[in-house]
Amino acid sequence: MPYLIHIAILFFIYAILGVSLNLVVGYAGLLSVAHAAFYGIGAYVTAIALTQYGINFFVSVLLGMLLSGIVSLLVGMVFSKFRDDYYALASLGFNVIVFSIFLNWESMTKGPLGIPGVGKPTVFGYEIASNGTFLLLAIALFALVYMVATKIDGSSFGRVLKAIREDEQALEVFGYRVEYFKLAIFVIGAAMASVAGSLFASYITYVDPSSFSLNESIFILAIVIMGGLGSIRGTLAGALFLVLLPEALRFVGLPTDIAAQSRQVIYGAILVLLMVYRPRGFVGEYELK
Amino acid sequence: MGILPQIIANSIIAGAIYALIALGFNLIYRTTKFFNLAHGALTVVGGYAMFFLYKQLEWNIYASALVSVLFTGGAGYMLDKLVFRRLRNRGASQMVFLIAALGLLTVIQAIIAILFTSQFQTLADSAMQQQIYDIFGGIITQTQAIIAILGVMILVGITWMLKYTMFGRAINAVSDDEEVAKMVGIHTNKIIGWVFFIGSAIAGLSGILVGFDTGLEPTMGMSLLMKGVIAAIIGGIGTMHGAFAGAFLLGFAENFGVWQFSGEWKDAIAFIILIIFLLFRPKGIFKR
Repeated sequence: MPYLIHIAILFFIYAILGVSLNLVVGYAGLLSVAHAAFYGIGAYVTAIALTQYGINFFVSVLLGMLLSGIVSLLVGMVFSKFRDDYYALASLGFNVIVFSIFLNWESMTKGPLGIPGVGKPTVFGYEIASNGTFLLLAIALFALVYMVATKIDGSSFGRVLKAIREDEQALEVFGYRVEYFKLAIFVIGAAMASVAGSLFASYITYVDPSSFSLNESIFILAIVIMGGLGSIRGTLAGALFLVLLPEALRFVGLPTDIAAQSRQVIYGAILVLLMVYRPRGFVGEYELK
Repeated sequence: MGILPQIIANSIIAGAIYALIALGFNLIYRTTKFFNLAHGALTVVGGYAMFFLYKQLEWNIYASALVSVLFTGGAGYMLDKLVFRRLRNRGASQMVFLIAALGLLTVIQAIIAILFTSQFQTLADSAMQQQIYDIFGGIITQTQAIIAILGVMILVGITWMLKYTMFGRAINAVSDDEEVAKMVGIHTNKIIGWVFFIGSAIAGLSGILVGFDTGLEPTMGMSLLMKGVIAAIIGGIGTMHGAFAGAFLLGFAENFGVWQFSGEWKDAIAFIILIIFLLFRPKGIFKR
């Protein structure tokens, strides 16, 4: 049972990451490979706020969202000039930079050693110490993210985003300032990813740069692509599958380090095979051409 | 003053490595019009193929280098045949190509890590004392000299090939307009397959050279590719001499930046240069 709770918490963390990245990639059609960077910003803000300044977890979540939001706003303004492959490349480079900041800004992030002993959240003096209650917190935060995402899905804002994905120029002709829409969804996605990071830091109680590498961004992208672009339910299925995958590999009896690499082989291969045979993902509504 | 020649020497070495990667990447980009992010993984394939043959099977150095380069070329050819050609035939969008390339990168890196562990490996013999050259006070090892010379030779070779051979003209035709090239009877898929072979073989060669110069790691492909792509873009994407100029500009900027700031920010410096170019001179130094 504790094991199942652990898996469930991981699932909700990745579900938040997947849903938020889907807003960026699946709705607005921006191929961002930088999601782990914002995930990491949230995690580090929470870790530093809790261990260094004794700030409450929930305040640290807001601080993380704020910082991710500001960073994504600045980066997004630069990125909005790029398209397709240049956009993907720039976002990829941005992830590399943020990773190197986590790794090298030792006075703040403790570099490769990471920050241990991140505390658990407290609500009105009650500490969310057990994994069971932490799961409830994860569900609550996920529900918030999910609600915002479905709200966006049904709103005129969401429809404009999908239209941008389909035909950006047509929208420009109609007088929409396309870049503002793209920027807005990029910032929203980044702030959501930061929430997942805060959860992760407090749950694992330890952060180090390796959790926020480029591979992590590709992993989150695989969740989105597998489920299907523009499909929130698909993303949940993708997150479930890819979170269970390493556990299944360990179950089969592969040693841990080989299992980690095999997981990479499998989700990488899934990306390739989907692109060749079924680019819309398993339940996606949007056909990638 | 004392340190300056050394920084210049280091910049030239870095520039030569980036140039090799940029050349292969550029050649593929020119003909296929997409960013082949899997190109970085092929440097790793080349480096580790060499590691396997030269270090583990203890083959002769030239034979292992030749086989590794051909093997990497073949691997690149297979990637095109099995994945990219199908996407091309379907008329897939940029995004599909990029995602497929990211997937391939992930798979190849992980397979190499499973086969050879994630440990840092080096190709250079510890016992073998390298010949060292002193050029105006800057120290260059033999491997580094070879890198610089090979870089120039391959640039000259490819430029010559593109200009004066039938095959090179076919490549130019395909890169100008694939449809028209097909109409006039050029077997485009075959040409692109060969371009993948040649570009990947160059990537394999650069992986081998990096293995001798600094060492191998399964994850090195991504950062090498980044440098290659940045070099290609700031030089003017699709132009061969531009890739070369961009690579050396990047090499110099990085090494002088490291001199002024600190070594950890190398990647950040490269990326900032890219952003500046993309914003103010998106076509690069030499426009095509």
